[in-house]
Amino acid sequence: MEYLSANKILVVDLASAEVTDDELSDELVGEKIGGAAVAKHLYEQHADGDPIVIGTGLLTGTLFPAAAAGVITAKSPVTGKISHCPITLKVGLEIQYSGFDYIVIKGKSPEPAFLWIHDGVADISSAADVWGKNVWETTDTWRKAMGDDLIQTIVIGKAGEDQSDLAQVCYNYWASGDRWGFGKNFGAKNLKGLAFRGMGLLEMADAEEFVELALDVLEEVKEGEFVSKKGIGDICTAIGESDINAWLAPIVHRHSACYNTPYATNTFVFLDEDAKKLTEPEHPEPGFLITDIFGLIGFKKIGLSAVEAGNLLKACAKYGIDAAAVAELSLATGKKTLAEIQGSFATLVGAVTRPGSGIFSPWCPNQPLFGKFDDAGDDPTAWWERRMAVASIFGIHPILAVMSPEITEDDLLEIATVGTEVEFSQDTLDNAVNYLLK
Amino acid sequence: MAIKIDALKCTGCMACEMACGYHRDDGFALLSSCIVAYRTKEKKDYFGVLLKREEDLLIARPEGTEIKRIGETEETPAAGKQQDASAKPMLLREACDLCEEMDLGPMCIKFCPFDAISED
Repeated sequence: MEYLSANKILVVDLASAEVTDDELSDELVGEKIGGAAVAKHLYEQHADGDPIVIGTGLLTGTLFPAAAAGVITAKSPVTGKISHCPITLKVGLEIQYSGFDYIVIKGKSPEPAFLWIHDGVADISSAADVWGKNVWETTDTWRKAMGDDLIQTIVIGKAGEDQSDLAQVCYNYWASGDRWGFGKNFGAKNLKGLAFRGMGLLEMADAEEFVELALDVLEEVKEGEFVSKKGIGDICTAIGESDINAWLAPIVHRHSACYNTPYATNTFVFLDEDAKKLTEPEHPEPGFLITDIFGLIGFKKIGLSAVEAGNLLKACAKYGIDAAAVAELSLATGKKTLAEIQGSFATLVGAVTRPGSGIFSPWCPNQPLFGKFDDAGDDPTAWWERRMAVASIFGIHPILAVMSPEITEDDLLEIATVGTEVEFSQDTLDNAVNYLLK
Repeated sequence: MAIKIDALKCTGCMACEMACGYHRDDGFALLSSCIVAYRTKEKKDYFGVLLKREEDLLIARPEGTEIKRIGETEETPAAGKQQDASAKPMLLREACDLCEEMDLGPMCIKFCPFDAISED
């Protein structure tokens, strides 16, 4: 695959420490397009190694609006289904430029290990020094060891190492859309995580046309219903949790967006400094970036203060445990204090609600946000599943996908064709979506 | 014309950086951009934008915009201000030319989803 691609699929066998790479064929892209559909194909191809597949969408890392997302595809230890988790923040971007389109990780390492992936090189490295360390300490250790604070990580904490069903992979320091227990898959492989850095170049078949089309779509998106909204509080309001905004407001520092995403889906709260302070904080770790809508809502429902909820979300991310699941199980078992809940991480078990069919992460709200989608009314669940499938194929941020009807399948197909010289039709997309949903 | 940056509108999405990279490399890449979202202080939520100009470096911090002579960030950082690692390679990059040869330019203005970058 010559365009919008590094043209490399990395295959890592942790058991034998063998690292190989294959070309990403035009035929595979022509059939599955990219992202979750190609990742699922690779999962099935390597199924005997119980793989975790990490990849990028066809448009990830480009100037197409919200082209931020990568994907983790694996069999969920809690549902038994092949499921997909979006990779957000700047992690999907970094994967795209690290020199590999897809990474297949199979087998179990005999010792704790991590993958250091940079500029087309992949190393299996010892994680002995970070096994037992929390998510924050691990990311700090790797960044310091490599001398680069811009390294992006996918990493597990204690929950993953102990193979809890509630274990969540985290991105750098923050919670992810992993509602599937993928952290347990990492732990079962003795895989502490992955570190990415890359300075690659993505070429396009028709660069000028691609950029003009991306700009046209951006201009439409910027006219959308969400333009006056920002942060996680407004998303909560849009799904009917209107009291979150006022509750959280006193500790909100700033809102931030994932790569090239026209809505700031993440909200940083200050827990140890004045949230209104604009100068560089003196405290090295003054707060927490909230990326998990339902974890936040869940902790409020328990009756915690905003500061307590922020501290608990931070503790969950350090431990690498699914905050929304922690909130649901704590509410069900009557745990009410921060200390009580945090103290239960190691023993927390139980069935957790995960709306949807178990394919796409319910981390993303399963309804339109702000925008009006003409096709969402008849069967909202089917609409959401399709929207998630399409977003995951092209690398579009899933929350933007339910926020911006201006991003259409026609737009995505047209720009993908212009960018790659591969003719993508509606039939191609329908087939790829059906493949994901079957 | 010059580029103006409102760091408080900025969400650190890096669209400007990629748009500039496209202008430099005719593809998508970040290595040559003269505008950079600095993001090395992730745990502090302290981010803004750096722009390399012909004569100086425009640093749009949340608390305000600062202009420094080229080299000053490395050699004589302002008292009490920690150097930003991402500032160093800026000195090796070409200065902003306002995308003068591009019909669409300046690309960073066009592609900022939050209108944090504008013409001054």
